Amino acid sequence: MKVTWKLPDGTEKSADVANGTSMMQAAVDNNIPNVIGECGGCLSCATCHVYVDDAWVARTGAADDFEDAMLDVAEAERRDTSRLSCQIEASDALDGLVLIVPQP
Amino acid sequence: MTVWTPTDDGFADLTSHDTFAQGAPHNTFARLRREDPVSWTDYDQGQGFWSITRHQDITEMNRNFAVFSSARGIRMEDQTYEEYLARRTFQETDPPEHMKTRIKVAKAFSKPVVAGFEQDLRDLSNQILDAALSNTTFDATKDIARQLPMLMLGRILGTPEKDLPWLVEKGDALIANTDPDFTDHVLDQMTTDEFRMMPFNSPAGAELYAYAKELMAHKNATGDTDGVLHLILQPDKDGNTISEEEFRNFFCLLVAAGNDTTRYSIAAGIQAMCHQPELLSQMQQGGDDLWELAPDEIIRWATPALYFRRTLTQDFEAHGKQMKEGDKVLFWWSSANRDDTVFDDPFRVNLMRSPNKHMSFGQSGPHVCLGMWLARLEVRVLFQELCKRLKKIEPDGKHKFLRSNFVGGIKELPVRVTLQ
Repeated sequence: MKVTWKLPDGTEKSADVANGTSMMQAAVDNNIPNVIGECGGCLSCATCHVYVDDAWVARTGAADDFEDAMLDVAEAERRDTSRLSCQIEASDALDGLVLIVPQP
Repeated sequence: MTVWTPTDDGFADLTSHDTFAQGAPHNTFARLRREDPVSWTDYDQGQGFWSITRHQDITEMNRNFAVFSSARGIRMEDQTYEEYLARRTFQETDPPEHMKTRIKVAKAFSKPVVAGFEQDLRDLSNQILDAALSNTTFDATKDIARQLPMLMLGRILGTPEKDLPWLVEKGDALIANTDPDFTDHVLDQMTTDEFRMMPFNSPAGAELYAYAKELMAHKNATGDTDGVLHLILQPDKDGNTISEEEFRNFFCLLVAAGNDTTRYSIAAGIQAMCHQPELLSQMQQGGDDLWELAPDEIIRWATPALYFRRTLTQDFEAHGKQMKEGDKVLFWWSSANRDDTVFDDPFRVNLMRSPNKHMSFGQSGPHVCLGMWLARLEVRVLFQELCKRLKKIEPDGKHKFLRSNFVGGIKELPVRVTLQ
C-alpha cells in the first residue's frame, strides 16, 4: 500500500509499504521526522503519535483503551484524529493513507 | 584518544561482578558480536544463560515480548516463583499486565510534564555546582553526579529534603547490592537468605517500605495528593488497585532507578570531558541542535543498565543456536551501544551523533525507560550549567567502576578543574 506523510515543514513524503508493517515502522524506515517509536511498537512511549487525515479516520478505526491512555502522554497536542502509528497496520484497505506528522 | 581502552582479554567472565569493576569487558563483547552472537555462559550460582550482544538481534528480540518474557525476573540471578512474586514490580511483568500499571504513571513522566521541571533542575544544578566547584579538586561522582538525581527525586516524591541522603544511601544499597562500598549485604557473598523476599534481595527494601508507608500516611493526613505515589495507588480501569507489596516494590524501584542511572550518566559524561578535551568547547559553543542530541550520546556512552534478562516462553532459534523454553536470555545493552555496525567510532563520544539508536533506555521494547525524558533533561541541564563555568577539566587520579555486572558506573571520579 502507499502512504503519504504530511510533514511539519509543509512538504510531503510517500512510500510503498508491505502489508502488515506498522505505520510507525514505515515512518522510521523512511526517516520521517518526529516519528521515533522508542518502544518498538509496544504502546509504551507515545513517540509515534500522528494525526490521521480526516478522510481516512473512519478506515483506520479508533484507538483502544491503552492507546487512548497513551495518547495523553504524547508530546504534541492531542486531537480527535490522534493515533499512535504503531497501532495502524498497512493493508490493501488503507492504500493511499494520509498521515499528518505533528509539530512537537 | 579514546576515553578508555578496555583491557579484558576477550574471554571475560560475564557472571563475575569483579570483571565489571574494571569497566565493561568490551573486548569480550566485540568478540561475541563477531563470532558468537548468541552465546551460552555457565553460571556457577544457578542456571546458565544466553548472551545476546548484537544491536540488531536485541532490537528484534526485545520487542518480541511474547517469547522473551520479563515475567520471570530481569537479572541473571535465579529466583523461585515465590521470590519473584514477592519482589516483582511492573518491570517484571509483560503486556498487557505491564500497561495497567505503567499507564497510571506514564503521564507524570511524559516529555511535556517533565519539561516543567527545567527551571527547578537549573536551580538545583547551580546550587550543586556552587558547592562542588568551590574546590579545585573533588570527586565528580560524589559531589556532582550523585547530587542532582537525588534532589530531583525528592521533588518528585515530595520527600522532605533532610531525608534525601538517607533515601539515596538505601537506593544505592538496593541496586548496587554487589559492591561492598554501598552495602553490608553483598549479594553474591551473603551467607543467609533472610532477605530473599525483599525488593532487590536487600534489607534496605524493608527500610524503604517502612519509610514509604509513613510518607504516604503523612501526605494523606495533610491532604497532599500530588505526585506519582498517589497516581500509582489509583484503581486501574477495571477498578483494581495494587497490593501493599507492589506499592513497596514500586517505591523501591523509583528510589533505585531514579537515582543511580542518571548519576552514572552524568559521571560518564564528566569522565568523557576529562579525556576528550574538545567536548568542553563544543558544549560551550553548542546551540539547540547540539543540546537536542548530546544527552543521548552521553547516555549511550554511559549505558548505566548493562543488561536486562528475559526468559523464553517457547523454544527459539537464532544464529544456529537452539534456545529452549525456560532459558534465560540476557540483552547486553552495553554491547549493543558499542556495536560498530550501528555506531561509527563507538568508543568516541560524538555529541552531534545522529541518528543515535542507542539502547541505554531499553529502546524497542515495552519496558523502555519510563524516566527517559527526565534523564535526558537532567543530563542536558547539568552539562549546560557545568560547561559555562569551566575553562578546563582533567582527571586527578584514576576513576573506579562499581563492582556490578548489572549497573555500569563510575563510582569515584577524581577531577581537577580550572574555572572561567
